[in-house]
Amino acid sequence: MATDVQAQPASENALATTEVLGQNGVNKEEQKNENKPRPKPQRFKRPDYNTIHSKPLPLEVYPLPAFIPHNPLSVVRIAIALISHSIRPPSSNEKVHLSYFSPETQSVHVTDAESIKALWERGFFGAGSLSRSEPRWLDQEKRKRGLEASQTSEERTRKVREDRRQFKLQRAKEQAQAREEQLRREGKIVNEENLASIVASEASQNADAAAVVPLDNSGAQPGDHDVSENPGSKEESLEAVRKLEEELASIEDQEHLQLTLEEAFFLTYALGALKVFHSDTPLESSSALFRHCCSYTSDPLADNAISVPIAPDNDFVMRYAVYHHFRSLGWVVRSGIKFAVDFLLYNRGPAFAHAEFSIMIIPSYTNSYWSETEDRLAECRKKEHRDWWWLHRVNRVQTQVFKTLMLVYVDVPPPWDLKAGGDVDIGSVLSQYKIREFMIKRWTPNRNRN
Amino acid sequence: MADEDEDAPKLRNQEDDEIDASEETQDFRFLNNLHAFDPGNLSLPKRGEKDFETDATNLQLDTLEASRQAMHSVLSWTRVHKDKNRILGMYHAESNMAYVEKAKTQMFQTIGRAKGGKEWLLPEEALFLIERGSMDCRWPVKEEEGETANIEDGAPMSLQGAYSAFIGFEEGVGGKLTLEMYNVYAGLRRSGYIVFRTGSWDDDFGVLRTDMTEPKGSELQSQGSIFYRFFAEIWRRISTPNRNVTADGLRFGPLVKPGLYRNYADIYRLLKIVPTHDRKAPPSFVLPADRTNPYRLHFDVYKTGTGKFSKARRGDPDFRVAVISARDTPLPTSSQLNDLLATAPYSPPDPANKNMYARLKHGTRNVILAVVDNGLPSYINVADTPFDGERLFENSLKPFRGKGGGRGRGGRGRGRGGRGRGR
Repeated sequence: MATDVQAQPASENALATTEVLGQNGVNKEEQKNENKPRPKPQRFKRPDYNTIHSKPLPLEVYPLPAFIPHNPLSVVRIAIALISHSIRPPSSNEKVHLSYFSPETQSVHVTDAESIKALWERGFFGAGSLSRSEPRWLDQEKRKRGLEASQTSEERTRKVREDRRQFKLQRAKEQAQAREEQLRREGKIVNEENLASIVASEASQNADAAAVVPLDNSGAQPGDHDVSENPGSKEESLEAVRKLEEELASIEDQEHLQLTLEEAFFLTYALGALKVFHSDTPLESSSALFRHCCSYTSDPLADNAISVPIAPDNDFVMRYAVYHHFRSLGWVVRSGIKFAVDFLLYNRGPAFAHAEFSIMIIPSYTNSYWSETEDRLAECRKKEHRDWWWLHRVNRVQTQVFKTLMLVYVDVPPPWDLKAGGDVDIGSVLSQYKIREFMIKRWTPNRNRN
Repeated sequence: MADEDEDAPKLRNQEDDEIDASEETQDFRFLNNLHAFDPGNLSLPKRGEKDFETDATNLQLDTLEASRQAMHSVLSWTRVHKDKNRILGMYHAESNMAYVEKAKTQMFQTIGRAKGGKEWLLPEEALFLIERGSMDCRWPVKEEEGETANIEDGAPMSLQGAYSAFIGFEEGVGGKLTLEMYNVYAGLRRSGYIVFRTGSWDDDFGVLRTDMTEPKGSELQSQGSIFYRFFAEIWRRISTPNRNVTADGLRFGPLVKPGLYRNYADIYRLLKIVPTHDRKAPPSFVLPADRTNPYRLHFDVYKTGTGKFSKARRGDPDFRVAVISARDTPLPTSSQLNDLLATAPYSPPDPANKNMYARLKHGTRNVILAVVDNGLPSYINVADTPFDGERLFENSLKPFRGKGGGRGRGGRGRGRGGRGRGR
């Protein structure tokens, strides 16, 4: 996003600058330098996330100015703030963001660039439809066309992976050489050709690797405008730069922000910071949105789902209860589908630290209503049944990615939506879903003995 | 060879507790050093480098042969049963236990229970001693009238006989030893733990642990003098607009009415509407008392090497283990977990611990589930986690220490074979 880009001047990443200049045809020598053994690239300097993400929610707060004991004027400033706030109280919700429910993807789309920025930077809501999580498609696109020197996180990851790959190839080569050496010492190799062929094959392997995964500037190869082909005069190159700038203006951001249903409902019901439209009609009340989300979660294809009562163990209600609970404690909750769990918990947000906990939701039919008849009991047993292989599968994945698994049991209340189609008293519904967290961790006898 | 780093996570020094020793390759040549049996000279075995294929070098072959030799020589040690260490036991059919009349060896410091001049052994203890070759157990021979039974005259019990006698017998004292329980018992004993059956020998149900002592320093310290608090309260009332969630807001949202808020913590407090389990309240059982409930504590496990151990005064165990058969029992329901954890004592994390993650992972009550699948145990620690106690929003706005993003764990590096940990 724009702020990111400003936060890291182009000169900070010497390598990136070199490439860009080369492609623009402004500096041919620099491009030649590329072929020389390159120095270790400077470590990428991160944008100042503390400033960018200083607000944890897309709402405004108005703290009083700080009181400084040795500066009497600060008292005046506090008084002015207090008085002006009491005369005309500022509002926490400066802007209500607009969004669109998408039945095909079962998500809520935000298309306005400012809303996207606000929702991502304050509380890490949603994910870019064309990016990994933060909507960075436009930046990537600009960089691809050689207009910006900064790297997006996706590009950085790609580069790190390639470096690592090269490192491994190098190491494999060294190991092969050591082995060769050993064999020679043992007198098992007499002719030199053997070694030559091995080294040759290693080299060709390396060449293959380079061909298959082009180096980091591959993303920046402009297919449509080969400006660097004709060096020409300075004017010509300036002309080319101008053309590129025009192109930049013409790039349309084709990316939108996708909110999960839980995120959209939280922003609407809890914070009042979002308004959801469904086929051009706004879902005015939280109650309508709630019913909408529930019915689409239980049966996305049924047209009349809205008029069917919401089941107490509806997936959306249970997921939302958990989502709301952890959000209300200050965690940043994001979908855990990439790690085979329901949610991930971040401290402050994904820009600051890896997620520490992952959440798996398990329904719990503790209420006596569920054991009243034999049929009901059997049905509930089936729904809450998980076997140990399931748990071990999930837990294995979590330890591999250094996260701790939590089983979150949600108490399912007896049916509460008796007359379908009516208003849902969301507060009282949510207060019936009791939550209990259990931390799961493998225990190894060999590690705990002292 | 090249994928070595995908397999053995060697660079995870910072998270030692997560490394599973059983998953690393061992260089068995270390066994050669054990010959001397010199306790002063024992060093930790080194992990060898894993080779995945033969590379035709003599060096590799030699290494392999040396490891093989080392294991072979260890196995070929002659084991001697000294006569004075011989334990002679007698099977007691009524209680399905075994007793030893004269307990001479050190073994009985961590096993058995003295009663009426004899050392009584629970089925798993007797079976363990027999399997180990430490005890010679005898079947009782039919007593002639007027004669007292002499252990020496009993018929020797075979290992097969011991298994069929001790396992699955339902009526004995503290009975119901299952094969799964024995697997776990023997496994933990062999790994060097001291293991006792939880509770007294006769009770069928777990006991509620309602003793809840908060660790010292957890009470809120009163802040300053009464004057200070008086003015602080007045200041709070002036500066902070008083806000609560209105009934209407609760019903139809938004919970946070647009308006003036001084900080985000105020907003977060309004959001708290989903109820959670109160871990500070005394626990209670949800399910009716039921003998068939598989979720109950079976073993108290003690670490060794922490001073002298006395089996008469065992104190609180280091770990509590519940044995579960993976094939017969699904994942516990929340009521089963509740009842199981209610029998473990309340031990909240140390509030002085600065590391919030560690505090959360510690939990307030802990039980280890030993999930046994056909003889293979897998241990899972279940902790009751007090998430409500950690109000993240109160400290999350402080600037983050260290680098701006995501590199908190320096040692990670390439150790994960390029897959990383993912966000």
